[in-house]
Amino acid sequence: MTEKGTLIIGLGNPILGDDGVGWVIAQNLKTQFDGDSNLEFEFLSLGGLSLMERLTGYQKVILIDALSSGKHPKGKVVSFPLNDVPDLTSGHTSSAHDTSLRNALILGRSMGIDLPKDEDVLIVAIEAENVYDFSEELSPMVAAAVPEAVNLVIDIISMK
Amino acid sequence: MQRITIDPITRLEGHGKIEIFLNEDGDVANTYFQIPELRGFERFCVGRPVEELPLLTNRICGVCPEAHHLAGAKAADAVYHVDPPRTAKMLRELLYSAFYCTDHTTHFYALAGPDFIMGPDAPVAERNILGVIHKVGLEIGGKVIQMRKYGHSVVEMIGGRKVHPCTSIPGGLTKGITEDQRKEIETMGRWAVEFAQFSLKIFGDIVLGNKAYLDLILGDIYTHKTYSIGTVDENNHVNFYDGLVSVVAPDGERIGKYGPNEYQEWIAERAEPWTYLKFPYLKKVGWKGFVDGKDSGVYTATPLSRLNAADGMATPLAQEEYDKFYSTLGGKPVHQRLATHWARLIELLYAAERWVELATDPEITSTNFHTIPTEKPTEGVGIVEAPRGTLTHHYWTDDRGVVTKVNLIVGTTNNYAPMSMSIKKAAQSLIKKGTVVNEGLLNMVEMAFRAYDPCFGCATHSLPGQMPLQVTIYDAKGNPQEVLKQFC
Repeated sequence: MTEKGTLIIGLGNPILGDDGVGWVIAQNLKTQFDGDSNLEFEFLSLGGLSLMERLTGYQKVILIDALSSGKHPKGKVVSFPLNDVPDLTSGHTSSAHDTSLRNALILGRSMGIDLPKDEDVLIVAIEAENVYDFSEELSPMVAAAVPEAVNLVIDIISMK
Repeated sequence: MQRITIDPITRLEGHGKIEIFLNEDGDVANTYFQIPELRGFERFCVGRPVEELPLLTNRICGVCPEAHHLAGAKAADAVYHVDPPRTAKMLRELLYSAFYCTDHTTHFYALAGPDFIMGPDAPVAERNILGVIHKVGLEIGGKVIQMRKYGHSVVEMIGGRKVHPCTSIPGGLTKGITEDQRKEIETMGRWAVEFAQFSLKIFGDIVLGNKAYLDLILGDIYTHKTYSIGTVDENNHVNFYDGLVSVVAPDGERIGKYGPNEYQEWIAERAEPWTYLKFPYLKKVGWKGFVDGKDSGVYTATPLSRLNAADGMATPLAQEEYDKFYSTLGGKPVHQRLATHWARLIELLYAAERWVELATDPEITSTNFHTIPTEKPTEGVGIVEAPRGTLTHHYWTDDRGVVTKVNLIVGTTNNYAPMSMSIKKAAQSLIKKGTVVNEGLLNMVEMAFRAYDPCFGCATHSLPGQMPLQVTIYDAKGNPQEVLKQFC
């Protein structure tokens, strides 16, 4: 059973190649779970304060994004809670233009905004190949990983 | 030769990289500021209906999608040779004013604030917005969040969505606003004016009231005498949405103003072998290298340059601050780059006042917000002032309105040459023989270009595992001699 009010966010730029993979996965899930009142979906290209503002009122959040760590094979699907991220100073969840998502969440909570705990913000990410060329297509390895990522998110929401 | 690399630049969008080359004596010989370029946007756009471009171009950048949406909409107006009704122009400018308040607020408190309020030597862990709020008080954090919320609300009411607006089409807008919405927008705008005044007071108390910071602003290491550009209205007052681009020489002489269709006569681009990004410069003056002065075509397009390129502000409270700005800093034009942060707050006040002006115009709720295009589409140019510089979109189409070519000169790119110069000058001033390279010092090098508020490949980067700031110093033979790290 899913817990009420889980927000699933496809994060990334949908016209920048593999950076749009989060949107593709979230759209796939939205289609499968159409009408499920326990789940809400958002498609965003935001980070930092702006992303924090979108988490207001939710207790559980799943962020689906591309990953450019260089540490995994292309198309590798990984997941980890936000509090396991050692430090992020750039990228969607930590738009360097304002502040990191973790800092933004600390700031938001200190302002009395109802926000999820870091451990309840789960990141599902896919190691990307191309995030510098404008395209609406995913590279083959990343596209092939979409079903695995979709299933992983389904497993996560089924456990709650 | 020694080599210092700062990679990546913290607190900036994208993966910028600075390399500092030292000579045998340990002094700075040269610096290179490299920016990875996003590729293939023109190819991506060709073959699409031109009315899609205001929606697509706002995806280039997650920091200022509103600027791209409106520059794209104005270019699409021009492609269809259609002049939107007054209400449509006012609604677009109202949306834009609210966006400016959000953007400039975020920059000051999250990006610039840490440098000035915490100080350039503060520990890295404290040099962020949390440190700023801790130092100046929790209530300020609440105001920053409130300002952003109001800005988002207005963008959503007029633009249809919170961040990536979608209502501007060739000839105007797809929707207007109701009287109830207008009242709400006016109330939020009045709050924004007070917030902007409050922010200027903080700047006055904490920065201008601190002799060390004032000396830093007025000092030579952050000074460059380049041309200034910025859009002005018919009274030569700063305008973000429409007007002519004023070009002012380092000595303050206005050498001309250009409209969107003339930009190619004024702006040219210089390629350098060590970077993919080109350096725009003033064509009429010419490229003389990375140097200051009236003979060098290097220009800036920033809040500071907009103030320099104008004769004043179009709203009364901002005009008072404008006068104070120049009287405090020794007259026009001002070339101290760190003064850009102050200029940004004056623009914040102007944007808030303009927000109220537009929200109280009797025609703002008119239903005459769209003119149906009737002419055959050809090509068109749209220019707006993005928060971080003049933004130019140029589209060509076939006679069905299908895009055949696109050219964009984005806000940050304008400032690539002066940013590179500022980094070199700051590095030369701060890194001298015998100087220990420490983190505070490197942050002061970064401060040199942070004033320009650059963002590269905004909202285009996927989640990185870890983004350390690493400084590597190479000896004369190219062997790593010392490694300094930040965020590791």
